Amino acid sequence: MRPLVVAAFMAWGPALAGQTTDSAAARRQEGVQAFGRMSAVLLHPRCLNCHTNGDHPTQGDDRHPHLFRVVRGGDDLGAVGMRCSTCHQTANNPASGVPGASGWGLAPLSMGWEGRTPRALCEQLKNPQRNGGRDLVALAQHLATDARVAWSWSPGAGRAPVNTPRDAFLAAVRLWVERGAPCPE
Amino acid sequence: MLELTVNGTIHQVDVEDDTPLLWVLREQLGLSGTKFGCGIAACGACTVHVDGQAVRSCSFPAGAAGGRSITTIEGLSPDRSHPVQQAWIQEQVPQCGYCQSGMIMAAAALLKERPAPSEAEIDAAMTNLCRCGTYARVRRAIHRAAATGRGR
Amino acid sequence: MSGSSELAAQDRGLGRREFVRVVTLATGGLAVALVPAPLRAAARALLTGVALEPGVPLGPWVRVTPDNVVTIIVSQAEMGQGISTTLPAILTDELGAAWESVRLETAPFATAYQNPRFHWMFTGNSESSQAFFDLMRRTGATVRAMLVEAAAQRWQVPSGECRAERSAIVHASSGRRATFGELATAAAQIPPPQDPPLKADRELTLVGRSLSRVDVPAKVDGSAVFGIDIAVPGMLVAAIRTAPTIAGSVRRYDEAAARQAPGVRAVVPVPRGVAVVADTYWHARKGLAALQLEYDAGPVAEIDSDLIDARYAHILEDGPWATPVLEGDVAARLGAAAQTVSETYTNPFLAHATMEPMNCTADVTADRCNVWAPTQGQELAVHALAAALQMPEDRISVRRSPYLGGGFGRRLLPDFVIQAALVSRAIGAAVKVIWDREEDIRRDHYRPASTIRLAAALDRSGAPQALHARVVSPTILRPVAPFLDRQMNDTRVDPSALEGMLEMSYAFPARRVDFHLFDTPIPTSVLRTTGFGPNTFALESFVDELAHATRTDPVAYRRRLLRKNARGLAVLNRAAQLGRWETPLPSGRGRGVAYARAFGTLIAQIVEVSVHGELLQVHRVVSAVDPGRVLDPGIATAAIEGGVIFGLAGTKTEITFNQGAARQSNFDRYVLPYLAEAPELVTEFIAGGGPLGGIGEVSPVTLPAALANAIFAATGRRLRSMPVTRHGLRFA
Repeated sequence: MRPLVVAAFMAWGPALAGQTTDSAAARRQEGVQAFGRMSAVLLHPRCLNCHTNGDHPTQGDDRHPHLFRVVRGGDDLGAVGMRCSTCHQTANNPASGVPGASGWGLAPLSMGWEGRTPRALCEQLKNPQRNGGRDLVALAQHLATDARVAWSWSPGAGRAPVNTPRDAFLAAVRLWVERGAPCPE
Repeated sequence: MLELTVNGTIHQVDVEDDTPLLWVLREQLGLSGTKFGCGIAACGACTVHVDGQAVRSCSFPAGAAGGRSITTIEGLSPDRSHPVQQAWIQEQVPQCGYCQSGMIMAAAALLKERPAPSEAEIDAAMTNLCRCGTYARVRRAIHRAAATGRGR
Repeated sequence: MSGSSELAAQDRGLGRREFVRVVTLATGGLAVALVPAPLRAAARALLTGVALEPGVPLGPWVRVTPDNVVTIIVSQAEMGQGISTTLPAILTDELGAAWESVRLETAPFATAYQNPRFHWMFTGNSESSQAFFDLMRRTGATVRAMLVEAAAQRWQVPSGECRAERSAIVHASSGRRATFGELATAAAQIPPPQDPPLKADRELTLVGRSLSRVDVPAKVDGSAVFGIDIAVPGMLVAAIRTAPTIAGSVRRYDEAAARQAPGVRAVVPVPRGVAVVADTYWHARKGLAALQLEYDAGPVAEIDSDLIDARYAHILEDGPWATPVLEGDVAARLGAAAQTVSETYTNPFLAHATMEPMNCTADVTADRCNVWAPTQGQELAVHALAAALQMPEDRISVRRSPYLGGGFGRRLLPDFVIQAALVSRAIGAAVKVIWDREEDIRRDHYRPASTIRLAAALDRSGAPQALHARVVSPTILRPVAPFLDRQMNDTRVDPSALEGMLEMSYAFPARRVDFHLFDTPIPTSVLRTTGFGPNTFALESFVDELAHATRTDPVAYRRRLLRKNARGLAVLNRAAQLGRWETPLPSGRGRGVAYARAFGTLIAQIVEVSVHGELLQVHRVVSAVDPGRVLDPGIATAAIEGGVIFGLAGTKTEITFNQGAARQSNFDRYVLPYLAEAPELVTEFIAGGGPLGGIGEVSPVTLPAALANAIFAATGRRLRSMPVTRHGLRFA
C-alpha cells in the first residue's frame, strides 16, 4: 500500500502545488467527507462495543454493559480466569450465539472512543500515541486487514452489521489518507 | 475425523467441526463430568481447560481443538488430589453439585495463574452460576487451596 | 464411604471414563467383552436397578452381604440438601453399622419408601428429615434387634447381653463377635419386633454431628451421575422444542429436512411441539434447527404482564373471596381504630432454573415402561405414566438418578417424564430427552405471582388489634398434589398459597384472611419456599411499616409481638445481636429484619445493605434459626447459606410475559446472583427443643422482606414489590 501512496503523492505533488487554494480546499473537503463516512462505521455499535472508555465492554445493538460481569482486565483481554477467550473464539459460534474473531478482546483504553465527536475521534485516530504507534498507512492497513474490524460486517445472528458496505468503508479510508487525513472542524 | 487430545490421551472422533466441544466430551468420549447448563456461555457449567485456560466448551467448536490440550474435571487429578478438589472437600462446597465441575475448573485455572488471588480477582474470575448458592464456600475453598501453596 | 454411586466403589481403580464409554458406545448392546468384570457389574446395576451387592434383605431399607457390606436404601432424592447423608446416618447410628463402609442405593418406587405422613413417595416441602426421622430410628433399631437375636440364639446367651458395634454384634462377657454379614441369613428369619428399644440420645454418635457428605467426593471429580448423564444400551437422544407461547402449538415444520440431517433417526410430534431423535444430542439439535418450526400463538396470545397485573389489581378490589380465617370482629376494630395502616404488596413469577435442565430417559415397549429420571416425585410419575400409557402400574418402573442438579419443586411434576415416555413409545427405542435452557424456562411451572393487601388496626400504643389479609394467588399445589383437587375445588383455597397467613406467629386479637384462587393459563406450581415466601414478603414488610408508622424500632416492635413466644424471641434477639442491630450505620447504609415460622422452623434474619444511586450492595446477612433440633450442623448451615442466595435471586430477577410468552428464557435475561454479589453470611442455630422442623426452604422465606426493610432503612424508599429492578436499583 505504502509505495503506491507515496508514488501517488510524488506524481500529484507538483500538480497540487500548482493548483489554486480552491482546489486544495475542495480536496480537503473530500477528505473530511471521507472521514465522515469512516466515522459512521467507527461509531457504530459493532466498533464501539470494544472501543469503550471504561472497565468493561458493551454488547448488543443497544450497547448495554456486557452481561455476565465481564471486565476489561489488565491486558484488555479479560480478567485472569475469565478471559475473553473463555467464551469468544476465532469465529462466530452459531451454537451458542457468541461472536468471535481472531484476537477477540477490547481495544486498549487509549483507543477508547465512546462519546467522541467526529473531530475528536479523527485527532485520536491520527495520534500515534493513541493508535498503537501507527502512521496513516499502518492505520489504513489495520482497518483493512484486522479480523475484528472485518467481523463488524459479519457479526452473526441478532447483531446488525455495519451498514456501510465494507469496500465503501475501505475506499473512504484510502481517500481520507490520500487527502492528508484532514479532520472535521 | 478430528483428533483431540483430552486429559493426555489422543482421540479420533467422527464429528462435524461445528460440534461444541461440550457434546464431544460428553457423548463421543463419555466424559459426562462436564455439564450442559445454558448453551450460551452464560453459566460456566461446561468449563474445561484448553491449554490451561478456562474455556466454556459449549461455545468452543471441536474443529478448533486441533493441536490443543484439553483437560476436563476427570483429568484434573486421578484421585481428587488436586488442591482445589481437596479444598472443595474440606469446605464441603457442593450442594446439588451440577455446577461444581465447571466451578472447580474455573477455580483451578485462576489459581494456576494467580496462586494467591485477591477478593477482587476471585470476583472477576468466578462468574460461574450456582443456583444452590454455594458462593461463600467457593470463595473460602479458593483461599484454602491457595494457602496450600501448591497451586498447579 | 462411598455414596450412592455404586459406580464409584467399583470403578475407582479403573477410572470413570471406561465405564461411561461402555454404556455410550452401545449401539445394539453392551460392549461387554471390552469391559472388566467389576465394571460390567456396575453397568448392569445402574441400568437395570438390580442391586450391585445382592446381599440379604433385612426389611426394605437394609441389605447385608456375607462379607459384611451393609447397603442402605435412600428413599429421598438428593438434590443438594444432603438428605442422602442425613437419613442413612440416622439409620446407621441406630443400627450400629460402621458408617465409613456403608453403601447407599437409590430406592425404586415402593410403598415402603413413601413419606409416612402422606403415604406418598416424594421429596419436597423441607420435610424429609421430619417425616423419616422416627422411621429411620425404628428401622435401625428393628434390624439391630433382629441381628442381636440371631447372635443370641447362635451363642445361646441372653439378647440383652449383646450389642451392635461397627457392623458386628458382640457379646462382651465372652468376647464373642460376629459380623452383620455372618448373621444376616439367620437374622432374616427372625420376625421383626414391633417395638424395638431405641438408643438413648447420648449413645448416638452420628446424629447431631457435622458429617462429611457422602455425595461430595463424586461431585468434585465429575463422577456424580445426574439424570442428564444416564445412559442405557441402545439409547437414542432427543432434542425438543415446544411452542414458545403459553398455549401455542406447532403449525408447520419441514420433517424431510430434519430427517436428512446427520444422525437423525426420527421426528416425533409431542403435545405442542416436536422432538427430533438422533444418535447424539448435537445431531438432534441440528435436526431440530432444520425443522424450521412455525408456530401458532394459541388462544392466550395476548397475555402480557401489564394485563396480568391489572387483573390481579381488579380482583384485589372485587374478589370474590373465600374466607378460611375469621377470628374476632375485624371490621369493627378497623373502623374504631386509633390508627389504621393498609398496604398492598406483590410478588413476581419466578422460574425454578435448576442448573441441570429438565431431562428424562425412557424405554417403553408394548408392555413395559422403564424410566430413569432426576425426579422428586417418583410416585406421581408412576401414576401419571400409567394413565398416559394406559399401562398397569406393575409394568412401570421409575428409577431416580442418584443425583438431581437442583429440584426446588420443579421435578415433582411428571410432565417431563410423560413426554419422554411418549417419545420412546413412538420410536420403539430407549431415548433420553434433554430440554435446553430455553425449553426449561419456557415450560416451567412458575412460582406464581401474588398480590396481597394487609390492613391493620392499631391501638394508641401502636399495637395491632386486628389484621385483615387478602391474598390473590394462582395454585401452588394442584400440579403436584392431584389428590387435593377436589378439596381445592370445593373450598377455592390452595393451602400452600396461604402458608404463613393461615397460621401466624404473631397473635392478633382479631384476624381475617381472604383468599382468591386466581385462574390463569400460566402454569404455576410449587417452588422452594412454597407459599411462605411470597406471604412473608408481604407480612414482614407490613410489620416493618407498622413499626415505622408508630415510630418504633422494627426489632422492638417484633419483640412486642412475640412477647409470649420464648423460642421466637430467642431467634429474634440472637439475630439482632449477631446482626449488630444497635450499632449505628453511616448514611446510605441500612439494616432490615424479618422473622418467620416456616416449615416448622423459626428464623430471624437481618440484612445489611448500602445503596448509592442505583447500586445496591448486600453486605451481610445474619440468620438465627431454631429448627427444634439440629441433625447435622454442617449440612444445616449450608442449606441456610445457600438459601440466602436463592432468596436474593428472587429479588434480582423475575419472569414477565409479552405477547403470550415469557420474556426470559436463559441466563442472559433471567439473571441469577453472582459470587461477586454474595454477602458475608453469619448463620447460627438454636436448638429450641420443639418438634423437628425443616431447613431446606427456610432462609429464602425471610430474605426478600429483610432486604426491602434494609433498603427502606438505607434510603427511606419502601419497596412493595420485587425484583429491585422494578425500582431502578441493581445489584452492584
